[in-house]
Amino acid sequence: MNRMKFSIGGCLAIIAVMLFACSKNNSGNNNPAASDAFKQRMLLNYCDTLFIPGYTQFNTQVTTLDAAITEFLNDPVQSKLDALRNPFKNTYLAFENISMPYFGPASALLLNNTLNSFPSKTADIENAIIAGPGSYNFNQPLVSDSIQGLPALDYLLFSTNTLQKFQESTSANRKQYVRDIMTKIKTLATSNLTQWNGSYRSAFTGNLQTNVGSPIGYVVNQLAYEMDAMKGPRIGWPFGKRSNGIVFADKCEAYYSGFSGDLATANLTALKKYFTGGTGTGIDDYLVEINRTELKNTVLNQFDVAINAVAAIPAPLSASFSNNAPAVENAYREVQKLLTYLKTDVASATAVQITYMDNDGD
Amino acid sequence: MMATNRQFLWKPVSIAPLVIFRIGFGLLMFFSILRFWWRGWIKELYVTPSFHFTYWGFEWVKPLGNPGMYIVFAIILIAALCIALGLFYRIAIILFFLCFTYVELIDVTTYLNHYYFISLVAFIMIWLPANKNYSLDCLLFPSIRTDTIPAWCINIIRFQMAVVYVFAGLAKINYDWLILAEPMRTWLPAKSYFPVIGKWMYESWMAYLFSWFGMFYDLFIVFFLLNNKTRNISYFFVLVFHIATAVFFPAIGMFPFVMIVCSLIFFPAAFHQKILQRLPLFQQQNNKTKAVYNFNNNNLILWGIILYCLIQVLLPVRFLLYPGKLFWHEQGYRFSWRVMLMEKAGAAYFTVKDSTGRQFYEVDNKEFLTPLQEKMMSTQPDLILKYAYHLADVYKQKGIIEPKVYAEVYVTLNSVPSKLFIDSTVNLAAQKISWKNYDWVLPWQTK
Repeated sequence: MNRMKFSIGGCLAIIAVMLFACSKNNSGNNNPAASDAFKQRMLLNYCDTLFIPGYTQFNTQVTTLDAAITEFLNDPVQSKLDALRNPFKNTYLAFENISMPYFGPASALLLNNTLNSFPSKTADIENAIIAGPGSYNFNQPLVSDSIQGLPALDYLLFSTNTLQKFQESTSANRKQYVRDIMTKIKTLATSNLTQWNGSYRSAFTGNLQTNVGSPIGYVVNQLAYEMDAMKGPRIGWPFGKRSNGIVFADKCEAYYSGFSGDLATANLTALKKYFTGGTGTGIDDYLVEINRTELKNTVLNQFDVAINAVAAIPAPLSASFSNNAPAVENAYREVQKLLTYLKTDVASATAVQITYMDNDGD
Repeated sequence: MMATNRQFLWKPVSIAPLVIFRIGFGLLMFFSILRFWWRGWIKELYVTPSFHFTYWGFEWVKPLGNPGMYIVFAIILIAALCIALGLFYRIAIILFFLCFTYVELIDVTTYLNHYYFISLVAFIMIWLPANKNYSLDCLLFPSIRTDTIPAWCINIIRFQMAVVYVFAGLAKINYDWLILAEPMRTWLPAKSYFPVIGKWMYESWMAYLFSWFGMFYDLFIVFFLLNNKTRNISYFFVLVFHIATAVFFPAIGMFPFVMIVCSLIFFPAAFHQKILQRLPLFQQQNNKTKAVYNFNNNNLILWGIILYCLIQVLLPVRFLLYPGKLFWHEQGYRFSWRVMLMEKAGAAYFTVKDSTGRQFYEVDNKEFLTPLQEKMMSTQPDLILKYAYHLADVYKQKGIIEPKVYAEVYVTLNSVPSKLFIDSTVNLAAQKISWKNYDWVLPWQTK
């Protein structure tokens, strides 16, 4: 009997030790013994050379755009409207560069949903303008997503008769609406960057796990998610893939300014950078680390094929849906191939579960 | 033969192991279900989804929505507690079995081997007199109290445990697991953040160690647990093995704890007696009223046991009837104790066409499926078929005449690059769900 007591006691002790070790792991963000130097380097690289500089650059572009918009609203003439075009394009391109890291502060702030839910609901926007300030609220998730952000600016500043609409005697509401959009963008962008520069950076780089909700899990999931958005909302849906070939050109990203193709290429190029980690350590190097060099080469090659295929569609993309269907079809196929690699082979190899929910874009 | 029969089935043995098993099982279920509820999975899995993958033959099983599903889970919770307390045991265990199995039948994509195990054990327990000692039923109806029960009441549970372990072990005897050390080779590097041992997770010897140890453990643990001399040390291995799996692979959820608790059934009566004596309000039976619990129709029980055991042994080997690689086509994969055997992921793109083939609509899976459902569907042919039927229905309602459903599905299995999984020129809506081999699943290729 003593022996049995001993074994029960011993077992309980072992359970206690293992559970303790286990719970330590779960919270062990700053556990020096838990360091995998490679993964540590990879996450630091993502943070310090891609995410934070990307956000910083975006915020700079927002500031420039804001100044140009203020100029135009104070004095709505053609030359100042023309002067908006480049800052707007640069801001949108800078956004494409940071739409991938949609987790942590960005997702808590609903940054992407607020800044880039397209197509925007133009009728709702016009109604809100007629009803005036106070009639609309930009802080309602889902409801207000499609009446603000960059797509709303795209419509308000680049659709037909823009100048006339801003010159009318009744244009005060319209001007205020644009200012309100910019205020919201600036607030979110600033808050997001502050949090990344603050506590989130160490939370992100200190967690080397790959499970659901972990940094590596996020990176792999978001690569696949963005590729899915490329296949669907950015190219496939306006192209008529879900609608028996009937093209919905005005549902593509940045339809009014006509930058759709540039944005798509920028988005894909950014995704490639997020796959490679830029010049530093990225998921591609991790694949080499776990002896999957062949997969790394396949994916890198497909990135180039897909980027070239998207860039080969004549601008504007919205017109090419009808006029250059084979080029769009080709890009669509290549993007799907890339999506397949990311969603199956890369996710499998990195032991990451694809869990992303439908939380963007539609 | 008759002698063994008597020994294994009818010999009166102490009820103590069954009572401890009842208490352990009831409490474990109570806390598992509580955890399930706490994590919001009732809503996520059974309330929110608009479509469910039903089991073939059980298409009539439908979720009850809100608050229906919560009521079902509340019943399971209360029943589990009643099982542990031994209160209105027979009603409680029947309710538990029916409600739990009902929930499992709602959606194939939530299938887990240990849920199947729980359903089976609950079914077995319906027939066992587990409340006839140390239970509230005994307080309410003292006459039901008994000290001994026929041996089969314990042995049937041991048999069920043996089926789980041995078939899990046999399933690991394959090229991928033993020679390539997949999927351990893929999964372990993800654990490099562990203190102390983390640095070895990239090493292939670690993958081999896990694979081979797992295989030997599953194959032989039951025999060591059955042996008096090795029982204590082997239970120690049960603890180490299952806690290790819980730490390394948290995604398997309650499974390790279910096995840790259920393995206690292998300990002798004296062990369980000792535990009972330490529990509050336990009364030693006075020898005068010592009663042996007897069943009315031993013959019926004998045939019932034989039939049950036969099914349990045959189900896991039914895969032998299908040609090709089991891990690829998964025909005969479920209900066979194949746990953590493969890393498989897929991407599935569906297109619906009208009868002329001129109209086409690509499907956005997110519109119909949850991420879990999409993930499971993308690698399992029968689920692909079920989804295709559903799409045909949906598009028929949208006005498409005789919708045809085609799927371009790519699957990667155990580090072999993703390949086309099924024939993308086959109209899935016209294919039948059946026991027959699905000839539209493309053959497995390694390169």
